[in-house]
Amino acid sequence: MASTKSADTEGAKQAILDYCLRKGALAAGVADLEALERIAPPGHRPSDLMPKVKSVISLGVGGQTQGAWSVPAKAMGYFGSTETRAYTIAYGAAFFIEGMYQTPAIYCPPDMDNEKGPRVPLQSLKLHAEIAGIGARSLAGDILLHPEFGYMYYASIFTELALEPDQPMAENPCPAPSCVSMYRQIGRTPCQKFCPVQCLSGHIDADGKQAEMHYDMAACAEMSQQYEAVPALLAEAMAAEDAQGRDDILFDPDNKMLWYKMSVGSGGLLAQCFECMRVCPIATKSPLADPIRRSKAKAAT
Amino acid sequence: MARGLSRQQIGVTVAMIDSYGDLVFEMSHNKQTRRGDPIRELDFAAIEARRGELGMSDGQIAQRIGLSEIQVMYIRTTMERRRFRTNHFQRLLELGGGKRFRHERFTAHEDRFQYHDDAIALREAMTFNPERARYYAEQGWWADDTLSGWLARNVAERPAAPAVILDGVVMDYASLAARVDRLAGGLHGLGLGPGDVIAVQLPNVPDYLVGYLAIARLGAVMTTLYMPHRGREFATLLGHSRARAMICLSDAGGFPAAQTALDLDLEKLQSVIAIGTDVAKAVPGAVPFEDLAAGTASADALGLPLPVAADPFLLLYTSGTTASPKAVPHNSHTMLGNARLGAAEHQLSADDVILSAPPFGHLFALYSFHLALYSGAANLLLPAFTPPDLAATIEAGGATALFAAPAHMAACLGMGLFDKHDCSSLGLMVLSGSAVPDEMARAVDRKLPDCAINQLWGMTETQGALYCRPGDSIETAATSAGQPAPGVEARINDDGELQVRGSMLFPGYFDNPGANAAAFTKDGWFRSGDLASQDRQGNIAITGRIKDIINRGGVKYNPREIEDLLDKHPGIAQSAIVPMPDNVLGERACCFAVAIDPDIDLDGLCQYLLGHGIAKTKLPERLVLVAEMPLTPTRKIIKGRLFLP
Ligand code: SF4
Ligand code: SF4
Repeated sequence: MASTKSADTEGAKQAILDYCLRKGALAAGVADLEALERIAPPGHRPSDLMPKVKSVISLGVGGQTQGAWSVPAKAMGYFGSTETRAYTIAYGAAFFIEGMYQTPAIYCPPDMDNEKGPRVPLQSLKLHAEIAGIGARSLAGDILLHPEFGYMYYASIFTELALEPDQPMAENPCPAPSCVSMYRQIGRTPCQKFCPVQCLSGHIDADGKQAEMHYDMAACAEMSQQYEAVPALLAEAMAAEDAQGRDDILFDPDNKMLWYKMSVGSGGLLAQCFECMRVCPIATKSPLADPIRRSKAKAAT
Repeated sequence: MARGLSRQQIGVTVAMIDSYGDLVFEMSHNKQTRRGDPIRELDFAAIEARRGELGMSDGQIAQRIGLSEIQVMYIRTTMERRRFRTNHFQRLLELGGGKRFRHERFTAHEDRFQYHDDAIALREAMTFNPERARYYAEQGWWADDTLSGWLARNVAERPAAPAVILDGVVMDYASLAARVDRLAGGLHGLGLGPGDVIAVQLPNVPDYLVGYLAIARLGAVMTTLYMPHRGREFATLLGHSRARAMICLSDAGGFPAAQTALDLDLEKLQSVIAIGTDVAKAVPGAVPFEDLAAGTASADALGLPLPVAADPFLLLYTSGTTASPKAVPHNSHTMLGNARLGAAEHQLSADDVILSAPPFGHLFALYSFHLALYSGAANLLLPAFTPPDLAATIEAGGATALFAAPAHMAACLGMGLFDKHDCSSLGLMVLSGSAVPDEMARAVDRKLPDCAINQLWGMTETQGALYCRPGDSIETAATSAGQPAPGVEARINDDGELQVRGSMLFPGYFDNPGANAAAFTKDGWFRSGDLASQDRQGNIAITGRIKDIINRGGVKYNPREIEDLLDKHPGIAQSAIVPMPDNVLGERACCFAVAIDPDIDLDGLCQYLLGHGIAKTKLPERLVLVAEMPLTPTRKIIKGRLFLP
């Protein structure tokens, strides 16, 4: 399929972004392909996935409902999973582009690179969103935050249609003023203080801006991504001294829960724990982070 | 394997993993450091300069350190696997409902409490027939009783009510609970915890109960030593119970209990906790009880987990204090369920003032304490029994319920103490520990006409298994031990042996398979070793001990009625008839006696017995006079310790 219509790129961009917003995205933008190509490591550049890509569109959907922040951590672990709604919109947007502009488009796969193994995504959706100006890296392990919508889930669309890129956000909303004052008092921000595996640390400079961010991703992943526990438990069971020890490892309640999750593909506790976001003022209190407030704002207009 | 290639094919060796593993891990995305905001600001120079810190792809790492990309991937994933902790997400579950994680308050799983092997062995001993266990739970006989739970209930319902009274000094429930909480915290500070056995040798003083409740609060197990126990018994019982600590006096009436325990140098005995004056100086090496009880780290403040009813919490010795000990473990199901059900049967309430004549080292006394704690009643204490002190304590303390052995009462009657003291506050007297002579029960009844005299039959293994109820006639109470307690079944087998089972029954002796084999019938009933008979109303009377049966050339008889007659003889204070081996007849009867009349002789006694209708074949054939009888804490004669001279 080749581009048969010389697109009005401005109009096309607007139409595509409008489509995304209409379908439920809170924010959408176009990332500068050039920047992505320079920053992403080889093998993970947009062009590695789609050789003739001209534009990368990023969109974000609301993370949690407001109620989610009030439930216990163990319940949150069950619906903190990656937001599939964003992918649905991206998938639809790819069809929309192809249908409207007869130009190839793909919904960018959000999954792991099966050549590089787990923990290595094919593409960094986070990088696309950041360059597209719909999120900025926070002190909470580089989770992207948006000053209006708080914390979102992102999805991307690649297309051979050339679109005018947006710019990254001018200001990083993280750290929020209250986080700065907490940092000044105790040397830590809320996300750093309350992360259950203490995988976050860093510094804020004299101007109240991010100076350093340290993130122990391995520890954060251990918290949630229990697929790694499966072979670990099997190995432990094989090394058990006796039948009782083996049974204890394979059939204890925690591990049986794990087999359950694996067998039915339940997402429970396979997402991040998001305790860092639970205490983040931007994630929970920025003007339109709260879906209840968002719907009220919508109703008012 | 990576991309389907083996380690040999990609040339990764263990040496390579060891050499580069940490480096690869640190350079990978597993550890990320970002300085400033270079990506968002599109500061490409800074991005390039700091790529290593931000976390690199396997290919980038490979280029930096000179490995192939696939080797890096293999090494990275190996390192991820090595570091992966499977229980990490448990931290999240610790948070519960909306709590915030606090690093300083979190204890990793591997650092948490673990029962040691001895504690696990004791818990293993708590094995019950599953069908029976289910039945007891269904009936509500086994529930969630714990001493800590009962104490907390009393604190909530009657904080200022008297809990413990000694010499007119009252400790209310709130103060008792506070002291228990602190002591439990102090014991925890010594490294003691759930499942640890803690021995106690104390007279019936308030701190006995404080210690007991604190041990129970910890989820630990109390084992008791009687006050007359000395180094030899210490060694056997502390050794067999694997006691980790002992609470005792520094000076037990001239006996240096704490020092004796320390001198034993038992490997498992970590702490000797002593009560006395200036303990630190008097017994170097002992921990002053008061330091622990006055400490600031209380069990509740430390958040120590509460015990549960299935946990063993008592380990009591019935015999074999110097060899082959028979240790009876109980958990709250067996022990406290029995007291809960018994409180209503004995008609006890929070208004009662309950006094135990036997020492708390004996289960009967603990039973009275359990009844009091369940009912919210006051425990009136008598540190050590003497007949005058008992009578004076009843009078001064206004005891409403007395738990005593027949010998205690016999002594009080003998000294005319019920005439000298006003014991009319007593509404209930529960007599147990040995057979209650009919005449004695009636005599007490005459002295205390408003007091129900109730026999109770029980053993350490069975607790209060049979008892009379307050409404029973003196006829019933003087001649029987009444009927089974709730949750108890009793039967008498063809040999006349009383056998019981029920929710109160211990599961089996700890670490004594030989004793267990002998103690239970094939169908799971406990052989009491007592002979019994049952009347038409179902009341059961204990008539003797199987072991006491004399088999004289095939003629078997129970010497109990002869002993009863001898005890009434004016020249005899106490008697016991035991079999002595005989080449011809197998056994003959030998009478041991404490004489009042020093000139008493065998012929005279035989004439007396013949005159009371005793058959010639049952007459004792030897008389041994002793200065005193070996007695149990409930003042029962220990026939096994009567040796022929
Ligand atoms: S998701 Fe959980 S483990 Fe990861 S950084 Fe946030 S709080 Fe820490
Ligand atoms: S809590 Fe949120 S705003 Fe505050 S420092 Fe952490 S990520 Fe930034």
